[in-house]
Amino acid sequence: MQENEIMTSYEREINRINNIIYSNKEQIETVIGVRNYIDNNYDSDLNLDLLSHLRFISKFHLLRLFKKHYGQTPRQYLIDKRIEKSKEHLKNGMSITETCFAVGFESLGSFSTLFKTKTGKSPSEFQNEQLSRSKL
Amino acid sequence: MKVTLISIPVRDQEKAIKFYTEILGFIIKKDKPLEGGNRWITLVSPEWQDGPELLLEPGPNHFEPCKVYQNALMEAGIPYTQFNVENVDTEYEKLTKLGVEFSIKPSKMGTWKYAVFNDTCGNNIELVEDL
Repeated sequence: MQENEIMTSYEREINRINNIIYSNKEQIETVIGVRNYIDNNYDSDLNLDLLSHLRFISKFHLLRLFKKHYGQTPRQYLIDKRIEKSKEHLKNGMSITETCFAVGFESLGSFSTLFKTKTGKSPSEFQNEQLSRSKL
Repeated sequence: MKVTLISIPVRDQEKAIKFYTEILGFIIKKDKPLEGGNRWITLVSPEWQDGPELLLEPGPNHFEPCKVYQNALMEAGIPYTQFNVENVDTEYEKLTKLGVEFSIKPSKMGTWKYAVFNDTCGNNIELVEDL
């Protein structure tokens, strides 16, 4: 924390807001813990029941807290994480089927559909584009 | 419609290129001449070269309200632009060694960590790390 006289008005305002909306440290620790868990286990079978058991809270409470702090639900966050990781695998030349399971999706169909929705390209289009780019 | 570009107002494009590439590590994606010595210069992150481009826009020199707004933001310490980083502390250490001045050292706010520095081109920039 800096001395008050050299604090910008932005910093004072941020600190004011911080004390009002982020006063519950335990809540913050809970959602950060859940997000870290998703980051480290996105490739396994994750669901709300499991995540809420880990932090000893009800799943509806977790859903509400996560959305409140990250602006999206744990499932939406997980899907984005898996798509981001799948792009890395595809860039590195891993096959589409392998990639699908490596990032935790259970069906090739839902992976391909989600990938296309999120990136605007199918996994094979994305991979071909990346691989041809690296040959230039 | 797609979001592919954000712009940042700068007073001196040449100086801005030096700061944003040599200090912050961005790379130039497009650089083409416009009227009156102005250029259309966009930058991208080295690790995300097909990501959004950052336009170094000489707005404050050509549109007075832009300069007034930029000055007011600077004085209040408000960052209008933010960049995401993996680790705010590491960036803080690295940039401080390169002489960058921070108005807010790495601090926590809710589920993220942030810091604010002066880009020497008229702007406060916020670095953000999601926790």
